[in-house]
Amino acid sequence: MSYVSKKRELVLISCISVVVFVSVWEMVCRFGLVDPIFLPSPTEVVLRGIRTLNDGILMSHVLASTRRVMIGFALAVAISIPLGLVLGTSRRFCAVFDPIISLIRPLPSMSWIPLSLLWFGITETQKYSIVFMGTIAPALLYVIEATRNVDQVLVLAARNLGASRFQVMREVILPASLAQIISGFKIILGLSWTCVISAELVSAKEGLGFMIMNGKEFFQTDTVVLGMVMISITVLIIDVILRRIENRVLRWQR
Amino acid sequence: MTSTNRRVFLKNTLAGAGAIGLAGTGLFASAKELQKMAYGGSPWLSHYPTYLAIENGLLKKEGIDLRWESFVTGSARLSAMMAGDVDLAGFGSISTMALMARGVKQFYVVGVPENFGKVEGLFVKEGINSIADLKGKTIGTAFASSTHLLVLDLIASSGLTPDKDINVINISGPEIIAAMKSGQIDACAAWTPQFNILSSMPGVKLLADDTSFSLYKEFGTTPGPDLLVVKKSYAESNPEAVKSFIKAYFQSCEVLKNTPEKAVPILKKLTNLNDAEQLQTIKGAEWYTLDQQKDLMAKDGKFVTGLQKLAEMLVTYKQLDSAPKVSDWINPNFI
Repeated sequence: MSYVSKKRELVLISCISVVVFVSVWEMVCRFGLVDPIFLPSPTEVVLRGIRTLNDGILMSHVLASTRRVMIGFALAVAISIPLGLVLGTSRRFCAVFDPIISLIRPLPSMSWIPLSLLWFGITETQKYSIVFMGTIAPALLYVIEATRNVDQVLVLAARNLGASRFQVMREVILPASLAQIISGFKIILGLSWTCVISAELVSAKEGLGFMIMNGKEFFQTDTVVLGMVMISITVLIIDVILRRIENRVLRWQR
Repeated sequence: MTSTNRRVFLKNTLAGAGAIGLAGTGLFASAKELQKMAYGGSPWLSHYPTYLAIENGLLKKEGIDLRWESFVTGSARLSAMMAGDVDLAGFGSISTMALMARGVKQFYVVGVPENFGKVEGLFVKEGINSIADLKGKTIGTAFASSTHLLVLDLIASSGLTPDKDINVINISGPEIIAAMKSGQIDACAAWTPQFNILSSMPGVKLLADDTSFSLYKEFGTTPGPDLLVVKKSYAESNPEAVKSFIKAYFQSCEVLKNTPEKAVPILKKLTNLNDAEQLQTIKGAEWYTLDQQKDLMAKDGKFVTGLQKLAEMLVTYKQLDSAPKVSDWINPNFI
């Protein structure tokens, strides 16, 4: 079997899997095996989706959350790459920052809410900060780890050829670790979405996190499930975009 | 052992066993007499009567062994009731009507504990004298709550449009106090105990309480009255126990109404308020008695009609998809 037909077969299997899953879910709800208050049927979720899409509410929630995720995540990326490269190559710097990263890393994004409210008030910056604080420590750890995994022969060769410390970092370590860094960031992007849900618990009036929590308050479980589905779809779309960027940036590695 | 000793030993053993048996049976009997019940509570006002009835021994006297389960939000309590973990609980009418609107029939509304309309309201900064003055400004309130509905109603009554003319944001609890103090919001709507804190905050004044709510003027209905709710399956299999609970519950309401000082030392264990704050909070609500329940729970009465109008208002503000027929859930038979 050729590579293309093998790939088609796998896509077909995945499609059948989704269709079977949704059909079983629909049947379970239709035959009254589960109370709709606990689990709405896919049809109810889709109908709710159409209604909120027509009202223009759904897209405003999706865009609000996506904006918060992308800004918080971009800030974490912008800071974690240079800082991670420095920490990954300098043991002294690492000794200074490592305990701080270790202290921040286990903190759930929810725990930043009271402080972020005091620091930034009920603004969008407060929401970006929740995403940023929830992702910066793991992002840094991915960059540090990727930097340390670079083949030392390459580093030594560059140094022997007279490259400065900065040149080695920019022209050897960064390109060599980029694939691992991007893989880590894809995981961090998923984490950003859990952070945005926390960020939207307080002082928000739009966003998928708000939509889910508000739906919960009114026992609109179809709205809750719709919010969850929209998060999954948005993450999948962003993942595809990231993969394209990865293919372009790492063309030389393919 | 001689035969006399053996006889004495047997006699004593039998007597002892008999005594233990009788005592055991007695214990078993008294344990059996107490009806087990699980209640979903929180430090909010509507749960004061239950907490007081547990601590005062009123429920034990009525033959009820009540298990108190704490929940932070009303929707979590209702979810627990739907899941079968709670038999009775106090709820805000908005979350209860949200469940009714979903067609859930597994519960009855069996009582109304109090009216907290005068300890819930809209606070504004000095210089703001009407809702119209709030045009272009920001109001903080807990979404999906009675204060949210109060804010939406007040804005609509003044001819303005929420989110277009006035920015309404979702914020509640201690954050609302911090946001008001730091000037991040120009107004906020809150209930007790935040209401009491805001009342004494310099530069802040009360613009409207629940008595300004449009339905209050006609039906005496506040934006989200508290309700006492019982799980249908429990009520139908233990009607006498529910009646006994309600009897003890409203005896506590009498204490809260007539001798609130007696309730203070007990309730402050639940709320962590100091003596003065606790007394002020109890006195802030109008406690209903068992005698008043018949009028309040009358299906065509003013209170239930007001609740129906409230459900319709929730649809108008797009908080519910459709208005349930509230009287279908009202059951005055346990009073």
